[in-house]
Amino acid sequence: MSASPLLQLLDVSRVLAGRAVVAELNLQLDRGHVLGLLGVNGAGKSTTLRMIAGVLAPSSGQVRIAGEDLCEQPQTAGRQLGYLPEQVPLYPELRVSEYLDFCANLHGLRGVAAARAVAAVTERCNLGDVRRRLLGNLSKGFQQRVGIAQAIVHDPALIVLDEPASGLDPVQAASIRALVRELGREHAVILSTHLLPDVQACCDRVAILHQGRLRHDGPLQALAESGALRVVTSASLDETKWKTLTCVHSAEFADGAWRIRLASDATPAQLAQAIVSAGWGLNEMRDDDAGLEQIFLRIASAESTREAA
Amino acid sequence: MSRVLARNELRRLFVQPLAWAVLAAVLGMLAYFFLLSLQAFLAVMPKLAGNAAAPGVTDLVALPLLRAIASLLLLVVPLLGMRTLAGERQAGTLPLLLASGLGDARIVLGKFAGLLTFLAVLIALALAMPFSLDLGTTLDLGRLFAAAFGLFLFAAALAAIAVCVSSYAQQPVVAAIVALALNLVLWMLDAGARYEGITSSFINYLALPSHLEPFLHGIVATVDMGYFVLVAAVALTLGARRLGTLRMQP
Repeated sequence: MSASPLLQLLDVSRVLAGRAVVAELNLQLDRGHVLGLLGVNGAGKSTTLRMIAGVLAPSSGQVRIAGEDLCEQPQTAGRQLGYLPEQVPLYPELRVSEYLDFCANLHGLRGVAAARAVAAVTERCNLGDVRRRLLGNLSKGFQQRVGIAQAIVHDPALIVLDEPASGLDPVQAASIRALVRELGREHAVILSTHLLPDVQACCDRVAILHQGRLRHDGPLQALAESGALRVVTSASLDETKWKTLTCVHSAEFADGAWRIRLASDATPAQLAQAIVSAGWGLNEMRDDDAGLEQIFLRIASAESTREAA
Repeated sequence: MSRVLARNELRRLFVQPLAWAVLAAVLGMLAYFFLLSLQAFLAVMPKLAGNAAAPGVTDLVALPLLRAIASLLLLVVPLLGMRTLAGERQAGTLPLLLASGLGDARIVLGKFAGLLTFLAVLIALALAMPFSLDLGTTLDLGRLFAAAFGLFLFAAALAAIAVCVSSYAQQPVVAAIVALALNLVLWMLDAGARYEGITSSFINYLALPSHLEPFLHGIVATVDMGYFVLVAAVALTLGARRLGTLRMQP
């Protein structure tokens, strides 16, 4: 039991209306990790998450939660799972506390245990002030938070969040991301998004889905390390000038800044010093977080050119 | 687990105006009907006095009221039950139930139990009117209880049909119309046969009134109980199967 990963997708495929929406997907996830499922609209993210949540049965393949097949043991597997669908499943006529009570009961919590769980999740998701309000009268941000509260109220091992930060303002999105990061410490979290900042802010692993197939699966850390530096100078430069610096491996200009890849033994400090001593005027220098974006765009565009051909 | 769902269903019914409006309208109509038949009874009472075989207040006031309740249930249950599953689908809340690991049968049972509890409250409130006559006169209580029991089983069959249809429909309104049509078909199924004088063929067995009438006459027969239980069981099984197919083909 303990040897099997918390979430395991084995060759999962799903055909909808004659089209393979998800094809031969293999994925694993354990506690303490946040996996970002990235893809353009229609890539099959939501379908994948719905299969993980047991709302949709796979056409073929298996979804296993803690070693149990979700289709054969929906009850036991379902207990370990918290799911926030793309459309937050709220009853607008209920109050926040009533709704969370219901969700706790629905997942098998009773009496004192349920009351304690609801109190804890209300605190955790900052819902104390709106506890008595009707769900239908809440703002989108609060509704989304109630949706997350609903998914974690029974303290599931696996939390499945479908676009948790969509349609929120930047402040709300940031607080949701912080919450997801916190959840990722004790639980396994899988979230889907088409927003790169979401992934960069709260995931430690990223899986890129395109046209139903898994095109990339790896830790976010590796992407960041392979990333370059983003440098803005006051002097206008060209590539050959950059090449004169020994610590520069390659340089390219994009979006009003230089993307500098360092030579293997060079440090960012050396580059900064070199720029200053060359008198180019260093205005800005930071990690270029476009590594993920590059991979994402490459995967998305490669496919569209193939389609066009 | 189904109890949790039933309680939630009931709570959601009572925090919305529909249930209250239905309660008010149904009880208002029944009260008017009750008072009219009571007045009519008082008018004919002197003629009936002295005749031992003449029908009493149970026959002339209470039972017509119970028949009226049955006819109103035909219309009202589809309205109350239309949202049970179609509403969840429309509002996008069905995934919450499907992902809870509750199982399709329990989801359907929970919805059914919630609706039936509400109907039981409605029937109990309506029955308070004829039972109140017991304060001033003597009622045939055995017969009234049998009729109330039959009415409850009748409501259970209608509730199961409403939940089943609601699982198939995408919109609550469609569910209400289809459930109403089904109810009316089952209500009038043997009307033609009866007109021709056929009263004990298979088509009579299929119709709702042939099983409700015995209860109203104080006869609690296994065959009639079996019929209502069977209708409910078939409808709920179909509903649960439908949820299963929803997981396969949303």
